[in-house]
Amino acid sequence: MEEGHNSDGKENALCGRSLTAASRDGGGRMSAVPLAQRKVEGGKVYSGDGVLGYLEMLEAQAHELGLKQEEKEQQEKKLDRLKARVQELRARRDELQAKVELQEKRLLDKEALVTDPARPSAQTVLEWKVKSIKGMLQVFYLTGISGKLTKQGVCFCISTAYEGTYLDSYYVDLLINPEVKIQRHSVPVFIPLEQIAKKYLQSDIRRFMSVLSDHLNAYVGRRHQADQLEEHFSDRIEGTLQRNSLCNLLVFNYTVSSDSKTFPFNVRLLYGNLCCSLPTEAILSCTPGTLPLLAKMAAAHSNTFRQMALHKAFDSIINAKESQD
Amino acid sequence: MDEVIVEYIRRTVLKIPRDEIMAVLQKWGFLSEAQLQTINFRQTKESISHSVAQLCEESSANIKQAALLDIIYNHIYPNKRAWSVYRMNKTGEETDFFDFRDFKKKFRRQIQSALINVTINFREYEDNAIWIRIAWGTPYTKPNQYKTSYVVYHSQTPYVFISASTLRSNLPLLCQAMVVASNYHDIREMELRSHCLNSLKDIVFKRYSQNFQTNYPLQERNVLTENVDLRINDENSSEKERIHRLNQECFGDGPQPKLDFAQYKLETMFKSDPKWDVLEKKEPFRCLVKFSSPHLLESLKSLAPAGLADAPLSPLLTCIPQKARNYFKIREKKSLHPGNFVALFQLQDSSETQHMPILST
Repeated sequence: MEEGHNSDGKENALCGRSLTAASRDGGGRMSAVPLAQRKVEGGKVYSGDGVLGYLEMLEAQAHELGLKQEEKEQQEKKLDRLKARVQELRARRDELQAKVELQEKRLLDKEALVTDPARPSAQTVLEWKVKSIKGMLQVFYLTGISGKLTKQGVCFCISTAYEGTYLDSYYVDLLINPEVKIQRHSVPVFIPLEQIAKKYLQSDIRRFMSVLSDHLNAYVGRRHQADQLEEHFSDRIEGTLQRNSLCNLLVFNYTVSSDSKTFPFNVRLLYGNLCCSLPTEAILSCTPGTLPLLAKMAAAHSNTFRQMALHKAFDSIINAKESQD
Repeated sequence: MDEVIVEYIRRTVLKIPRDEIMAVLQKWGFLSEAQLQTINFRQTKESISHSVAQLCEESSANIKQAALLDIIYNHIYPNKRAWSVYRMNKTGEETDFFDFRDFKKKFRRQIQSALINVTINFREYEDNAIWIRIAWGTPYTKPNQYKTSYVVYHSQTPYVFISASTLRSNLPLLCQAMVVASNYHDIREMELRSHCLNSLKDIVFKRYSQNFQTNYPLQERNVLTENVDLRINDENSSEKERIHRLNQECFGDGPQPKLDFAQYKLETMFKSDPKWDVLEKKEPFRCLVKFSSPHLLESLKSLAPAGLADAPLSPLLTCIPQKARNYFKIREKKSLHPGNFVALFQLQDSSETQHMPILST
């Protein structure tokens, strides 16, 4: 009998039985040990002493360790999974970012296109083209001879001018088939159009247009000079300026003064060349008897009329006279 | 002599509308301002004319003054007379210096060499138009101032406008005088007559607006702008525009010369189905078609837009200003295919022939 142990154990056994009733009855034989001496692990109470108890404890530990390990593994797995997901998301984010950047770049480029003055839009290009063509047509018109193709031929426009002033425009509508013919025109009837056409129209259209243009420009020039003379110097002319349709014969009277006496002059200007706007002859006549005195002046005036435009010539004659006086 | 002249002046004044008598007399310039002030222009025309006649008698008006008044009256109111157009030809190419003094001398000499009893007066206007008034007499009687012919001529042009009035027997003499005085060779009458002298001038001088195609000045396409009410839709707008465009091509944009009539003399065969032998004798059907109007060309221009005719109009109607004629004679053309119902008519014109299709079945 072991009294030492039993004494403790007896006391404890009483207590132990009540306590160990709740605990595992594995071995069936439980020793009553005071509570303070029992090792409580994980809410389980093992009997402290004894190899089995120790083994139990170890087993429990191992079990728990195993559990922990399992948990750990699971957590690691989860962590891996999450890491992978993060990778995935990162990759996706990068992709989208790249797309956005590309889009932005494109937009920037486009904006750059619009704001860049060296690259205009289609609308402005078209407007500029139309404007330049209009300008080109105006230039052609201002050169004097311009034309437009029609269904049956061509319609020429001769725009006349004299010393920088643009005057009337005349049109000639030509038919081309079977031979070149004038269909209709707005040339004045006193211009010898039929003669010019007979000479040049069939053989050389360019020459025809050039000759006709010369005639018209010269006529318009002569008429302009006569108009200017009447407009500015009607007070210096006695009576009226006599002219004809072609303005190739102009007759008028004016007075000259010499030695404080006034003499009437009569001028006959003949324009023999219909393509020229200066007179071929300037015949001055005065009252009979006065010619010897005024011969020099008459000759000078005649020269002036033949060399300068009529209104300018008359202007210089008047002013020269006044300066003489 | 004086009473005749004074009476003539009085009758001329009577022709003028009352409100314009003062202006005409001022243009005439024979009566001074002071004398004109003495006339009461509120009276009846009869009284006014008597006042004027009185003043002219006091001032000893001569035949030249009376003729001048008549020229001025006819220049202001040319549409009271019927004018026809004559065309002169010459073969030479030399430059003609038309001298008005020479012209007057030659003309007068030519007429008076054949008939001494004439009164001839000239007046030149700013547009280079020369008005000639001739009062005709006979070898045995003095010139009758009421039987006058007028000639209007623009220098260096081949066209002469003559209003012969009653005495047509003197026409050859008049034409001859014109030819000689203006250095031409011959003269013939054109088939162009009207009351409106300026329109005749427009036609032969090509002063009316012909629709020339140009690149510059840029021709704005004038769209028919009417009161655009957006609630109204024009179903026929494309057709309207087509008619408008064709009309523009034929007649141009501007005002048309004023003609009174166009006369077409038809001497054509009656065309019908051969089995209905209507005419036993195959003779040309003689027919005269005359279009009259206060303003013929404007009315022709408005035919198509008004829906009364198809556009484009027949070239016989639209060629009037271009060919400068309003008398046409249409004859049958000897067609090469007798079975062909397409009738081609030939316009008789001494200078050219033109074949224009009119009917086709």
